[in-house]
Amino acid sequence: MNAIPDAILHAFTLLFTGDPDLWRIVWVSLKTSIAGLVLATPPAILIGYVVAMRRFTGRRIVIWLAQAALSLPTVLIGLLLYLLLSRHGPLGGLHWLFSQPGIVFGQCIVALPVLLAFTLAAVQGLDPRYAETAIALGASPMQVMVRVLHEARFGVMAAVLSGFGRVISEVGCALMVGGNIEGETRTITTAIALETSKGEFAQGIALGIVLVTLALLMNGALMLLQGDAHTIRERA
Amino acid sequence: MSISINSQITAAVYENANESQLASQRDERRKALLGVRGLRKRHGERLLFDIDRLEIATHSAYVLTGMNGAGKSTLLRVLGGLERAEIDSLRFAGEDVLRAHPYPRALRRAIVYVHQHPILFSTSVGDNIGYGLVVRGEPPAAVRPVVEEAMAWAGVAHLRDTAPARLSGGEKQRVALARAKVLQPRLLLLDEPTANLDGAAREQVIALIPTMVEAGSSIVIACHDRDLINLQGVQRLKLRDGQLEVR
Repeated sequence: MNAIPDAILHAFTLLFTGDPDLWRIVWVSLKTSIAGLVLATPPAILIGYVVAMRRFTGRRIVIWLAQAALSLPTVLIGLLLYLLLSRHGPLGGLHWLFSQPGIVFGQCIVALPVLLAFTLAAVQGLDPRYAETAIALGASPMQVMVRVLHEARFGVMAAVLSGFGRVISEVGCALMVGGNIEGETRTITTAIALETSKGEFAQGIALGIVLVTLALLMNGALMLLQGDAHTIRERA
Repeated sequence: MSISINSQITAAVYENANESQLASQRDERRKALLGVRGLRKRHGERLLFDIDRLEIATHSAYVLTGMNGAGKSTLLRVLGGLERAEIDSLRFAGEDVLRAHPYPRALRRAIVYVHQHPILFSTSVGDNIGYGLVVRGEPPAAVRPVVEEAMAWAGVAHLRDTAPARLSGGEKQRVALARAKVLQPRLLLLDEPTANLDGAAREQVIALIPTMVEAGSSIVIACHDRDLINLQGVQRLKLRDGQLEVR
């Protein structure tokens, strides 16, 4: 009956004594998630902006696919990447399967639709006269994009934070592409799944606390940003 | 209220000039800045307007009137290169620019359109006014004095570092005019610049318009405002039943 309180106590001990195994897992998670996000953000923002601003054939299909991709289970993305990166797959020559670059690639693919859909919504929600005003004042297409993204920055930042939330908390893709190799590709979520299956709850709980703390920090930052945005709108 | 544009300009320009010089200057003044033939705009199946001919002369001011929905704003947006329309012939400063629609950068720099409710970027008032110069690659040292001068001209110097969200409607309109003025546009298109402004703010905005013509711009103002329509020296255009009447 004391197993759960003992596990919780042990979890806090692991956290506050700086257990190297635990913090290595956290480090791998943060490193791969941030790298995936950094790679996905520029193209996703660019595509989101273009889809929001331009009218072209197939635009609605792009929006439909991006929104549908939001609800794709990450384990399915993991399966597709596994097939691509496996020795006989088209990208097998990269030798990324069961490696950190493989996880980064996977996180990048997982983050893309979130970043794209949220950026699209942020730019579409902006008054079109911002872009027109920049154009009317002589801005080049690139300068118009910079201006519009600056005006939609709260929404774009929300997109980045949501993308980070999605990649740090997903398990399916990291497990299938990374392979959960200790010290190399074991992430917070894959470690929780493994430790729980072994009946070892302490490390899982400790990693869960790290995830919850990250989620709270992310959402706190998002609320602060949204608060700023609302204040600015109310003043206007 | 009556503000004379032409009398102020002519007093300065024609002083000590002989008759022939006067005539040539008058011709110069009448030179067409913008000439449009066969301008049609449709919203779906509906023909919004079908303008046979429109000419905007250099150093001139026009008011464009018409009922709500007549297409005044749309016409300004088309002339400003922000909206497409069917056009048979389009000349600007003597050059055929029809194939350049939507406008290339050089033409955009000559024509500035200001919205009815101007959009100010979420930077300071000073940065808003200098935006057009900055995107043209002007160095900050050159932008600063021009912005200072324009803020003084528009009476918004005390608002230099203020966030636009804190400005009143009249202040926003004056900042938008200053932002357009620093670009020294050859053609300035103002969409209802005094709409929704109270008496004092309206008069401040109206007082700025003649000085912009004096500075060398031609101006087309879409409006319902009697004081703007009755400005002395201003030519009147009216959109009625899809046709443009010159009065």
